[in-house]
Amino acid sequence: MSAVTQAGDSSLATQSQGFAIVVDGLRKRYGSLVAVDGISFRVKEREIFGLLGPNGAGKTTTVEILEGLRGADEGQAIVAGIDVRKDPDKVKNLIGVQLQSSAFFDGLSLLELLDMFGALYHRSVDAMAILKKVDLTEKAHSTVTKLSGGQKQRFSIATALVNEPQILFLDEPTTGLDPQARRNLWELAESIRSEGRTIVLTTHYMDEAETLCDRVAIMDHGKILAMEPPDTLIQALLDKGFHKDRVERSANLEDVFLDMTGHGLRES
Amino acid sequence: MRRSPFLMLTWSSLKAYFRNRGAIFFSLLVPLMIMGIFGLINFGSSTPSVNIGVVDQAHNQVSSTIITSLKSIKAVKLHTGSLDSEKHELQQGNRDLVAVLPASAGQGSTAITAYYNQGNPQNSQVAIAIMNQFVDRASFAFAGITPALTLDSRPVQSRNLTYVDFLVPGMIALSIMQTGLFGVVFTFVQWKQRGILRRLMATPMLVRDFFFSQLVTRLTTVALQIGVLLAVGYFLLHFHFAGNVLYLLIVGIIGGGIFLAMGLAISGASKSEETAAPIANLVSLPLMFLSGIFFSRSNMPEWLQTVTQYSPLTYVSDALRSISVDGASLWAVRGDLLGIFVWLAIAVVLATRLFKWEVV
Repeated sequence: MSAVTQAGDSSLATQSQGFAIVVDGLRKRYGSLVAVDGISFRVKEREIFGLLGPNGAGKTTTVEILEGLRGADEGQAIVAGIDVRKDPDKVKNLIGVQLQSSAFFDGLSLLELLDMFGALYHRSVDAMAILKKVDLTEKAHSTVTKLSGGQKQRFSIATALVNEPQILFLDEPTTGLDPQARRNLWELAESIRSEGRTIVLTTHYMDEAETLCDRVAIMDHGKILAMEPPDTLIQALLDKGFHKDRVERSANLEDVFLDMTGHGLRES
Repeated sequence: MRRSPFLMLTWSSLKAYFRNRGAIFFSLLVPLMIMGIFGLINFGSSTPSVNIGVVDQAHNQVSSTIITSLKSIKAVKLHTGSLDSEKHELQQGNRDLVAVLPASAGQGSTAITAYYNQGNPQNSQVAIAIMNQFVDRASFAFAGITPALTLDSRPVQSRNLTYVDFLVPGMIALSIMQTGLFGVVFTFVQWKQRGILRRLMATPMLVRDFFFSQLVTRLTTVALQIGVLLAVGYFLLHFHFAGNVLYLLIVGIIGGGIFLAMGLAISGASKSEETAAPIANLVSLPLMFLSGIFFSRSNMPEWLQTVTQYSPLTYVSDALRSISVDGASLWAVRGDLLGIFVWLAIAVVLATRLFKWEVV
């Protein structure tokens, strides 16, 4: 490890070439509770990486540390080439964060809000172009309160794109959405990745992770239990002799639902 | 192109505030309503009157002269009746004093018996003083003696200050406190709960920029409230405004800072609206009633006056009152301003200690 990189003295930084995120031995305690128990993982550039786990598994804490919102007790995390524990503000400039609650200042239009978020990055943004990307140009002059659930989630992704981030964090982006809106959001995630951005996704929907993610990490009790592409994990389970009581048919109820109601988005 | 996050945040939250017509309406309506109600009741201007009951057992010229003269005294509400009924009224608290004019009144030296209400010593003292003076004068007259000393009282035209003149500056102080305290507490706790603060903290925004943008927004609304209350007081309630509006605004805005900082401290110390609201009420209610907003503190017991003179709201309302009613300069209210600055320092320290930028 003699190579000197722009990320400075961190030895991990020298290994971060080609990786959007490198985490090593990350630990976070709340009193006696160990929320994140010395986890290590890497997220490749342009990857859609899923962080899965039951509530309280430590996903949120992990993501918040990576986003610079929370400090860690031990370990290292290099995000977009920057040591987030040393320089969280620099990391915040390079990442986009979509949060579960898309609650914003009431009374401001989508354009005004994007303009304001741009200013927080000292940027002047083409708000209309961002809205076009998330298919919300028709709502440009509406307030967030006038949006449907799916539109709110798309707008909250739009606010995370104002700084053209290298890495986008999506926090349960399809919770509470109907099947049409979920598929619409998956397409959006794919198109964002195709622009060369890395996506870190947390979700409780396994079909979502299976469809979208190149690799997933399954967490519980603050530890990572497995980290593989979804297909690899499924095959490993089958190889152990696992079989379902009821054999899945090649279509499920959701396919029936979408066949009958169509893929078109239902929002006005 | 570099853009200022501070200016953009300020501009955005001002826009958001002024588009919320309902919130503006109520933030102005409530102080106006209170001011209207208290202005109509008009506590201060009604001269305190004492209820004197007279039991006329003489029914002669002397007794009727006494009754007529008592009736002519402005501060006296005179009632006549039988001994039993008047005593009953006294026990009921409807009389401050009941005087019995015995049948022998006017024939030689007569003792007039006076029963007084111990439950309301202040009014009873006044009634007794009036009766004493009256009895003295009547005795001199009947005896044909010229008093050695007489009081020659002459009215002097004063500025004729009314209760409204007392009330309006107090109401301005009150709405400054309410806007600062409740405006901040509810918004910040709500933003915390709705995840707005967390979302903003995920950007490289400086806490300082956010904090000051909110300060500017709130103080703008405080200035607006001062203007509206002043205008309504002046044009509708005949408020005698003798001061400098600029001084009023300066004191109002600095005073507003105290309550904004207190609001931040409270919203920092409480996790939800359910705990924040009672704490804010716990602070604001005593201040509201102990700081001479609706009534002069001079009616309070001495010890309470001593304590309440240090209340932040007392400093603010006293300064506003001196400026608007006496036309005082900022230098003239420097004592109150000193108190305001001390409280501002205390509140800012509390706010920085208690307000947490926790993302949760």
